[in-house]
Amino acid sequence: MSYEELENKMDQTFIAVRYNVEIEGAAIKPEEDLDVVNIIPTEEPFRAIALAVLYEDRDASLANVEKALANDIPPIDIINKGLMKGMDAVSLLYTKGFYFLPDLMLAGDGMMEGIKECEKVLGHKSETKGTVVSFVAEGDPHDIGKNLVVMFLRAGGYEAIDMGRDVPTVDVVKAIKEHKPIFVTGTALMTTTMTVFPKVVEALQKEGLEVPAIGCGGGAVRKDFVESFPMSVYGVEAYHAPKLADAIVKDKKTWKDLRKEYADIVGEFVSEYS
Amino acid sequence: MKRFTRMIYKNPDEMVFGKAKFPVSQRWNIQIGAGYVLPEIKVAPVEGSEESKEKMVSECRNITQSACDRAVAIGLPAFMLEQEHIFQQTNNPEWTAECTQIQAETLENYHDEYDIKISLRATPADIRLEERSPGLRESDYDNKVMESIEASAANGASDVAIETIGGKSVSDYGIARGDPKAILFGIGVLGSIDMEYMWKRIVNVCKKYDCRPAGDTDCAQANTAMFMAGGLLDKDCSHTLAALARAMAAARSLVAVECGAIGPLKDCGYENPIIKAISGVPIATEGKNAVCAHSDLMGNLTAAVTDVWSNESVYHRQEMGGTTPEVWLQATGYEAALMNTALQTGQEKVLRDLYTLTDKYRDPQGLVLAYDNAYRIGEAIVKYGNDPYLRSRAAALEAGAIINEAVDAKKMYLTRFERDSLDSALKIFEGLPAESDQFIDECLRKYSRKIAEFDPKSYEL
Repeated sequence: MSYEELENKMDQTFIAVRYNVEIEGAAIKPEEDLDVVNIIPTEEPFRAIALAVLYEDRDASLANVEKALANDIPPIDIINKGLMKGMDAVSLLYTKGFYFLPDLMLAGDGMMEGIKECEKVLGHKSETKGTVVSFVAEGDPHDIGKNLVVMFLRAGGYEAIDMGRDVPTVDVVKAIKEHKPIFVTGTALMTTTMTVFPKVVEALQKEGLEVPAIGCGGGAVRKDFVESFPMSVYGVEAYHAPKLADAIVKDKKTWKDLRKEYADIVGEFVSEYS
Repeated sequence: MKRFTRMIYKNPDEMVFGKAKFPVSQRWNIQIGAGYVLPEIKVAPVEGSEESKEKMVSECRNITQSACDRAVAIGLPAFMLEQEHIFQQTNNPEWTAECTQIQAETLENYHDEYDIKISLRATPADIRLEERSPGLRESDYDNKVMESIEASAANGASDVAIETIGGKSVSDYGIARGDPKAILFGIGVLGSIDMEYMWKRIVNVCKKYDCRPAGDTDCAQANTAMFMAGGLLDKDCSHTLAALARAMAAARSLVAVECGAIGPLKDCGYENPIIKAISGVPIATEGKNAVCAHSDLMGNLTAAVTDVWSNESVYHRQEMGGTTPEVWLQATGYEAALMNTALQTGQEKVLRDLYTLTDKYRDPQGLVLAYDNAYRIGEAIVKYGNDPYLRSRAAALEAGAIINEAVDAKKMYLTRFERDSLDSALKIFEGLPAESDQFIDECLRKYSRKIAEFDPKSYEL
């Protein structure tokens, strides 16, 4: 039987089902989502600012912010009541499965552009929920996971210090001393570079330093390995990072709590913690 | 350097697993693509082995010994062992030398005793960092990579492969933001430029030794898109855009062959069937027996025209059936045995077609790699063979046409996200300049500003 004959004989759904297509609901405008309605402000100019972020329009975002600043709207209000609300809605749509990573990245770019403009007027960095230091393990050039973590943290209202990739342990310790972060994230793709994580912990302990938690994740990183040394928590998805940070800031959770309550904190089933 | 402007295979039906137009011979009496499929085993060194050269050498010996024991225990006529370097190995070429040597000695003992056919693949890590001066070219890391390749070749590797990272700074930006132009620039232009820089040198090193220059894979770029695309319900990268990235990756990874690589191309290059169709070199691939390393949506389809069937990677540890080098060589070994039985009994085309049809419409990424469609993408590439930009764009447009045809035939179903991102990408690609220089100028202006890690000097731009 020829290839074509074989193909025509088959019922595709007997072999594979595209569940992503099956479960898709009707298309609605993002601002009409019932949960988003409660987040996006009704008052102008904040609504327009938030919607520009929601629609991932970097240029409109910047133009709206500039216009509001020219009208003497306080930059802090522009950030908190406009830009951040737009980003909150984007994050919500992402967790609900309606938005995708590119939506988050582009909305994040629009939000950061607006924040920078506001900071120029403020004359200093805007207030954040806290500072997080993010690094890729020494010897490891794979940084896309870290880039995502940094983006999710910034979208979640944190100042993420991006240390880049292949970062020497001594530099990580130096950054922790300097920034006194509420949370640290380390990523690695390989079994033989994830071994940097306990070395960072050891170096911190030697100097008598402690951080609430070091989130360790990435390709070959395993939960059993991460839990073999103190101060650490195994991070499963990049978008969990701000939720873990929130638990530290709001509920004073420690690395021990995060290990025990991980799935509850991130609010979903996590196979690795089941 | 001679570019491919014609297909070596004259029609897709000629392509089958275990046979390549240009088989490769290596030491230890092995031929690849010469009528049988080789199973491959690759194991990631255990954590802690990076602490000293002695530990790493011992780890390499143990992995090799375990694989050989199981190969003999279950009667495998042939296999390939691949060692993907850890950072410390490539960064310390004397580690490379000793690790390769102990592996080669161990394999040779088994070859001498049992006459088993064996191939040892060394894959130094591309540890170069674009953002750290002087960038990808002539940095200390660049020199270490080349020294490590030479140390592999000089100490017993049958062939060398690599996963070069040129263009990754830009393609990562594009994949995360769903920006097709950045993906095309990163993979098709920057990736191809860097491949040429790397592969001319790698081929020259291999010429000095009894070691074959094998091939490259777009692991750093198209596989990033594939891993981020993930399963059907994941939300990080559109599966249609990942399919286009894969098609572009074929135009990029082909450069290694144009520089003198002869295969088998490296296992995680999912674009390899397209390159086999164009160039006739044997290929390694991975699928259902690489579930120890990652999940994909084409576990059978990737076996259709393979020559070396790999497990991709696995932790070095114990499972109920033995240590992982034993267990996973057994898994790839039995799959290769099935393919070889089909070859012996003249049923290879039936098995090829069944492998293909199990996954052809599971996802757009598999669809474009079904051997008939891979061939079409190959034809689009060679039509513009002399221009890395135009041929990458042509590959993406052809992949888009293949997906759209399957949608029209109601065989492939797309989500709105997949539909929108495909339409948008194709519209952007259709509107791009017909001249490479103009496209590069536009991209340099746009992405040099937006991507801090991107350094045009690394590509002599």
